[in-house]
Amino acid sequence: MKPNAYDIKSKLGVIFQDVAVFEELTVYENIDYFCGLYIKDKNKRKQYIEEAIELVGLEEFKKFYPKQLSGGLLRRLNIACGIAHKPELIFLDEPTVAVDPQSRNNILDGIKKLRDNGATIIYTTHYMEEVEIICDRVIILDKGKILATGTTDELKELAKIEEKVTLEVNVLEEKYIEQIKKLENVDEVNYNGNILLVTYKKGKNNLVELIEYLKKESIKYNKIYSERPTLNDVFLELTGKELRD
Amino acid sequence: MFGHNFKYTLKTLFRNKTLIFWTFAFPIILGTFFNMAFSNIENSEKLEIIDIAIVNNEEFENNKIFKEAFENLSDEKNENRLFNTKYVTEEQAKELLENDEISGYMILEKEEPQIIVTTSGINETILKSVTEEIIQTNEIINNIAKNEIEKEIISQNYNIDYEKIYKNIIEMTENQEVNIKNISKNNLSYTMIEYYTLIAMTCLYGGILGMVAINQNLANMSNNGKRISIAPTQKVKTILSSISASYIVQLIGLSLLFIYTIFILKVDYGTNLPLIILLGLVGSFTGLSMGLAVGVLFKTNEGIKTGILISITMLGCFLSGMMGITMKYIIDKNIPIVNKLNPASMITDGFYSLYYYDTLDRYFFNIASLIIFAFIMITISIISLRRQKYDSI
Repeated sequence: MKPNAYDIKSKLGVIFQDVAVFEELTVYENIDYFCGLYIKDKNKRKQYIEEAIELVGLEEFKKFYPKQLSGGLLRRLNIACGIAHKPELIFLDEPTVAVDPQSRNNILDGIKKLRDNGATIIYTTHYMEEVEIICDRVIILDKGKILATGTTDELKELAKIEEKVTLEVNVLEEKYIEQIKKLENVDEVNYNGNILLVTYKKGKNNLVELIEYLKKESIKYNKIYSERPTLNDVFLELTGKELRD
Repeated sequence: MFGHNFKYTLKTLFRNKTLIFWTFAFPIILGTFFNMAFSNIENSEKLEIIDIAIVNNEEFENNKIFKEAFENLSDEKNENRLFNTKYVTEEQAKELLENDEISGYMILEKEEPQIIVTTSGINETILKSVTEEIIQTNEIINNIAKNEIEKEIISQNYNIDYEKIYKNIIEMTENQEVNIKNISKNNLSYTMIEYYTLIAMTCLYGGILGMVAINQNLANMSNNGKRISIAPTQKVKTILSSISASYIVQLIGLSLLFIYTIFILKVDYGTNLPLIILLGLVGSFTGLSMGLAVGVLFKTNEGIKTGILISITMLGCFLSGMMGITMKYIIDKNIPIVNKLNPASMITDGFYSLYYYDTLDRYFFNIASLIIFAFIMITISIISLRRQKYDSI
């Protein structure tokens, strides 16, 4: 894209990972400034600003300066500055990094509203649970290369595990762990503290078999539950589990 | 777009407390300190007459301008008498200086006056300053004489009446069309230089405003710059409006300093108001251009760039006499190129020449130097800005 591709630029909205607002301007003025770079009509701009403020829930903070806002509110202001001009294509780069759960919830709701209003959103994140909540299509990138694309369900099929069972026990002897490893379909067993995590390559009713085994060996447990593989598992499967820089 | 960015740049600059301190408050505070410090010095020095010696050689005897000037300034009947002058041989002058009986002595050789001093105090500075005034007047008179002779030659009159020309010049001198501008203790206030450097400092500190404003527009310099760069706006418009707003803020700061120093501190900048304003406008623009260049060329954070600009400005002001007028003379005498390239010195010297000299040649030389300096800074900035493309930020 060339610097003077103004038609294309006017349809874009970018929310950077680092907060990009003026410390010397209030919440309202910041949104007005950035929106004014796109929308010249003052009345229209006023309406857009009010809508953006409402979308991110900053109605009560219009006259606040950025330094008076919490991290979560600041992130919401950052988003409002990037989307107030109603762009058709929005890039969001990790907008929920280091925010409180309430602000994260608000941000994700706002993004869903933008999507529902017709905007195309490209959302970059490391939080796989957010991807499962808001994304229609997913691309897993690692070191600049595309490893997988598809819907969340399609990607989950790429995982080499079928089921994960988590067991909370007080004490579990080593011999039982070795026996569980030998049960049918078991791929991997991890015992960490008082949590036993059993992953299965295939089969969907592995939980029943494990419960029967525990009963037979009279192993007492506090809690047991089964999960389908998550996007996190797919991500780790595709990108590897070793630590990154 | 221009107006929108201009309005918000004004708001951000006026609300930036650090910027307002450096460009508005700091010069006023410093001016107040100058006033407190120097008014005491001047008052305590007022009655002191400086002991000097003049080497009474043949050249001095034949140089009417130098002779009359020093005689007048040493005249006991003169209310504003500056010197107690002894006319002696060079050996005697050396001896007097060694014995601390005089602050310094002047010897005129090959039309070049040499000032010999052992220390760099106020008395020595006044002696140098007076001598410089006389040299300036001498040059003016020589130029007038040269012009008169040229006029005669152009009109094909080869029988030039040198006596007549000389009489005319003397007449002009007596009518104060050409004179050594009231050299006296009252007007030869060495603190004036400090105030001139203060104005220069304020003009150049305005560069911080320009630097901050340009930083906000550059994608590789600030997060806001990234956001502005992806907006459908012309870079040139946003940059120009930001610079214009910075210039306005800078001029407001400068005006406040002028008002404060003129009306509260009673500083006299002379009577040529349009030229004083012109120097302020050009000086501020030069400061802005310097800020622009630092903003564009240094790929570092805003705090470091502010530090760079403050350091450059303070060094420039120091070399042009802010922390002691003697420094200006030392630099002018030993490494004149430094102050020829130093914008603080150009501004200081502009005010100095406007106040002390009757001709405007030196003033306009400084104005031209400032414009050239600003032009170079802006050209460097534009070239650097035009080459900026971002694959990834």
